[in-house]
Amino acid sequence: MEPTTTKPVAITFQHVQKAFGDQVVIPDLNLTVEQGELFVLVGTSGSGKTTTLKMINRLDPLTKGTILVNGQDSSQMPVRDLRWQMGYVLQQIALFPTMTVAQNIAVIPEMKGTAKKVINQTIDELLTEVGLAPADYRNRLPRELSGGEQQRIGILRAIAANPEIVLMDEPFSALDPLSRQQLQDLVLRLHARYHNTIVFVTHDMNEALKLGNRIGVMRQGQLVQVGTPTELAQHPANAFVRDFFGASRAKNVYDIYVGRVGLSQGYLPKPAVAAGRIQTLAAQATLRTAFKAFRTHDYLAITEDQQVRGYLDRQRVVAYLSEHEAD
Amino acid sequence: MQTLLQTLADRRGDLLTALWQHLGISLTALVLAMVIAIPLAIWAVRRPKWAEGLLQLTSVLQTIPSLALLGLLIPLVGIGTVPAVIALVIYALLPIFQNTYLGIAEIDPSIEEAADAFAMSRMRKLFKVELPIALPQIIAGIRTALVLIIGTATLAALIGAGGLGTFIMLGIDRNDTPLLLIGAISSALLAILLSALVRWFQTAKPRQALVMFGVIVALLGGGGAYSVYANRVETVTIAGKLGSEPDILINMYKELIEAQDKHVKVTLKPNFGKTTFLYSALKNDQIDIYPEFTGSVLETLVKGQNPKRMTAKQTYQLAQKRLRQQADMRLLKPMRYNNTYALAVTAQFQREHHLKTISDLNRVEGLLKPGMTLEFIDRNDGLKGLKKAYGLDVTAKSMEPALRYEAISKGRINLVDAYATDSELRQYNLKLLKDDQHFFPTYQGAPLMKASFAGQHPQIVRALNKLAGQISETDMQEMNYEVNVQKRSAAKVARAYLVKHHLLTTGAE
Repeated sequence: MEPTTTKPVAITFQHVQKAFGDQVVIPDLNLTVEQGELFVLVGTSGSGKTTTLKMINRLDPLTKGTILVNGQDSSQMPVRDLRWQMGYVLQQIALFPTMTVAQNIAVIPEMKGTAKKVINQTIDELLTEVGLAPADYRNRLPRELSGGEQQRIGILRAIAANPEIVLMDEPFSALDPLSRQQLQDLVLRLHARYHNTIVFVTHDMNEALKLGNRIGVMRQGQLVQVGTPTELAQHPANAFVRDFFGASRAKNVYDIYVGRVGLSQGYLPKPAVAAGRIQTLAAQATLRTAFKAFRTHDYLAITEDQQVRGYLDRQRVVAYLSEHEAD
Repeated sequence: MQTLLQTLADRRGDLLTALWQHLGISLTALVLAMVIAIPLAIWAVRRPKWAEGLLQLTSVLQTIPSLALLGLLIPLVGIGTVPAVIALVIYALLPIFQNTYLGIAEIDPSIEEAADAFAMSRMRKLFKVELPIALPQIIAGIRTALVLIIGTATLAALIGAGGLGTFIMLGIDRNDTPLLLIGAISSALLAILLSALVRWFQTAKPRQALVMFGVIVALLGGGGAYSVYANRVETVTIAGKLGSEPDILINMYKELIEAQDKHVKVTLKPNFGKTTFLYSALKNDQIDIYPEFTGSVLETLVKGQNPKRMTAKQTYQLAQKRLRQQADMRLLKPMRYNNTYALAVTAQFQREHHLKTISDLNRVEGLLKPGMTLEFIDRNDGLKGLKKAYGLDVTAKSMEPALRYEAISKGRINLVDAYATDSELRQYNLKLLKDDQHFFPTYQGAPLMKASFAGQHPQIVRALNKLAGQISETDMQEMNYEVNVQKRSAAKVARAYLVKHHLLTTGAE
């Protein structure tokens, strides 16, 4: 999905500088996040990505420069107004341990004075949405949930008051691979449904490629490259981005997702074969699924947001795997 | 066991009163400590430097020995319930402050960050997030404080605040194990019970907890209101020092006064403490009368040189004069017996070494193993002066009054100080040594009160003066024996004596 200049802007960084004492960690950051975009900030630890995120809701104050939120200077807004229009999801999950699932989700709507009845309805809807039966889960305490379940509630807590912007700080890095996959899918689904602006921080390029409409790669406090996954894959700005991208392959080839093969190898045009020989797969599907599909089909049609991005055949996949091996 | 149950049955009323006082003092102190320590800890959480200082301060306060703390408080706030509660609050501060502070300070920073990111107000964050998370630790601190308070509150008896400590003090003083056990066990049970109650509060639903809290407040408040109601008639408060003899005497005072004037109600505070406690209580109007000895007045309560070898009459007149001049107090006419210090040995030791007088001790100086009360050892009219007057060179172990008789009967010591009327002299077959140098001053008992009180209550003075010149040393030894050994109540013994000697003239039979 290409960002278009006609889209309204949600967040703008203008010459933002951040220093801790004498140490300047972010010298001069300029960035624009569109409304309704899922923007991923990716970088190694210490690259300044989390600091960048926390400056948006003023958990970390800026040293210099301006951040505009919906065109307004965020430092001039009452901090409560600013934060109430932004959901926040933490790496440590940090559900309030003495509150039930329902109470955790209700935290922000309650402060905003939403009617109890409406809140209760929202809680049930949201729980159902993420596949947790309300009757079963409403009154559980956080410690009675698995890590993946806890972070689902963490996300629901952030979006319960329907914020325009959701900030996510490495939300899945502490989870097991299976939960991580499920929650990534959940984020995509919720984003497709609610169209809010999401700024998502991760150190995992795979995750960035899977989730991001656009990705900002950070290194030592600077944005090295901002672009769509395709741009990053095909035209890396420098060796750092290329290496970062290359090193990001999944540990297990079966877990590589097919969209990635297309990104690095390029897609084929629509083959002139009978429709029965083509299997349609979402870009988020893994090679495991792709291998199964190749047992009975010759081509894969890869879709993103219900739109076909291109086609892959067996040679493309094998070529990707062999290049991979050469890295 | 039999005697324990018997004592329990006899003392049921006293025990309930003591439990009530104990509970009142303890819970008041606990609530005050919570009201001080919890908000202070919450305040200190955002000020780590202050928190460090406050932790140090509360730790230091806790290391002050409780007896010393009580002693320090007397000149500031007098005696009775107030200093006891203050001391207990001081002890309870540390566990409550420390647990509240750490409970909040150690909350996972990511949870604080979440609360901030959702723009919770300070108060909302405190009540919805921080306090609920820290609650188990805060409750644990409160329980520690509670157990500490209930244990330490037994010392409140020393400064006239009553409570279960009365039983323990009496038990030690009279060498009465059942009494001691009743006091100690009740206090332990109370601690366990209340600790369980606090734990229940932690798990209880808010509404139940609120109802229970209301019930407790109502009970305590009701108790307080009742005692105000009960005190509405003019009340004269008479206190006595530790031991059976003052207890018997104040019961006599009560009988005599109430027989004389039906409109006066006498409240007794037996075993109220030691000499200086009682004297300052009298000065501060916390009590109206207590029996004092002429010798003690001259030795510890008033200033001035004491001439040697005074007669009993001279002693009384000098004590009376100095009290009037220096403190505006009045010491009524004394009773007959002279409860002076004396030295005693076992009958066997006396026979073996042919001891008759204190001077005879010089012959057996190397064999002496004295065990004496701290008060006696330390007084100029006690061992200090005695050693000079008789040229004795001995060092005494200090022992609680009741314990030294136990020790001499088991042969661990062989020389004790005694009062001439102690029932134990008879009980353990001990022999007094004659004070051939006339070293010990005269100690005659008489009611002590403020001159103003005596002026306003001539009928009370008249009633008490009936005892002047009454009660011989053997009478007193016998009465002490009846109370200490035969376990008759001091009230009954006192009354029997008054009836026998026709001192209750108006029909109070």
